[in-house]
Amino acid sequence: MKVTLEKDVMENNDRAAEFNRKLFQKTGTLVINIMSSPGAGKTTILEKTVRALSGQYRISVIEGDIATERDADRIRSAGTRAVQIATEGECHLDPRMIAKVLPEIDLDETDILFIENVGNLVCPSEFDLGQTHKVVVLSTPEGNDKIPKYPLMFHVTELALINKTDLIPYVPFDLDQARKDLQAINPESRLMPVSARSGQGFDDWLNWIKEARQACLKP
Amino acid sequence: MHEMGLMEDALQMVSKDAAGHGMKSVEKVSLIVGDLSNVLPDALRFAFDAFRKTGEIPGIGGQARLEIIREPGKARCAVCGKEYEPNEYLALCPDCGMPFGVVISGETFRIESYEGS
Repeated sequence: MKVTLEKDVMENNDRAAEFNRKLFQKTGTLVINIMSSPGAGKTTILEKTVRALSGQYRISVIEGDIATERDADRIRSAGTRAVQIATEGECHLDPRMIAKVLPEIDLDETDILFIENVGNLVCPSEFDLGQTHKVVVLSTPEGNDKIPKYPLMFHVTELALINKTDLIPYVPFDLDQARKDLQAINPESRLMPVSARSGQGFDDWLNWIKEARQACLKP
Repeated sequence: MHEMGLMEDALQMVSKDAAGHGMKSVEKVSLIVGDLSNVLPDALRFAFDAFRKTGEIPGIGGQARLEIIREPGKARCAVCGKEYEPNEYLALCPDCGMPFGVVISGETFRIESYEGS
């Protein structure tokens, strides 16, 4: 017996992402899914971000890693609620993993939820978590060629934070070329140079978050 | 290796549907995999083989076969209208060199059908 199913394999993921998205919209929570390769500085950016914004906003963080609670501990040390997801081998977060931990987060009491994805420039780009915005972090030591080499990640994100700009004098990173490559892959995306360590450009990032939060409140 | 998780999803869907049709064993699963779907056919075959051997998904056992039907990637140039096979998402039109080609085919990742008894 042959059965024609014609079912999208991502259907369950899409459904879970929609479920998450509706919850976030209901509570008016801004949800930012932050992705990058390992070591680009996601956690350091988040530590600095929650320290800068926790006076104005109620912030929660979901940390995704293959193993350990280390990143959640770092965020908690910065004074913010953090839930760790240990994916135990999976190279990305999927929307069902997010849905599972949402009961641990009081969304009604959360203005901004940051989701730090598993460090990987490939797989996380394929999974919609139901977030409001997707952001990618690329650090200068990785080289500007990662934009055309990992095009999907830069195609699906709306903001590319170029981190560790304080290292530009010491590493070969061509900011102009990065802008051109990003424009070719995703003309809608914005490139923003920052340094989580020196604080250079960080106000632009904080303002971007504030504007995004404001947009979440509009009907 | 996200193909492992996706293959598990696909086989669970097939398993559930087959049980609904009163089937005990699935002999063949046909998937359509687009060139731009970011799923690797070899990794899918590897994952399928693993699930087939462990038999952990009801109805999917040692007898099951996997068919992968390729869907070629195609984009249409937003400026001159030419259809071409894009190189991932850096889709430059081979005629006029314009970026921003619109993907019109190749993103599918779907269970087309299955056979069993």
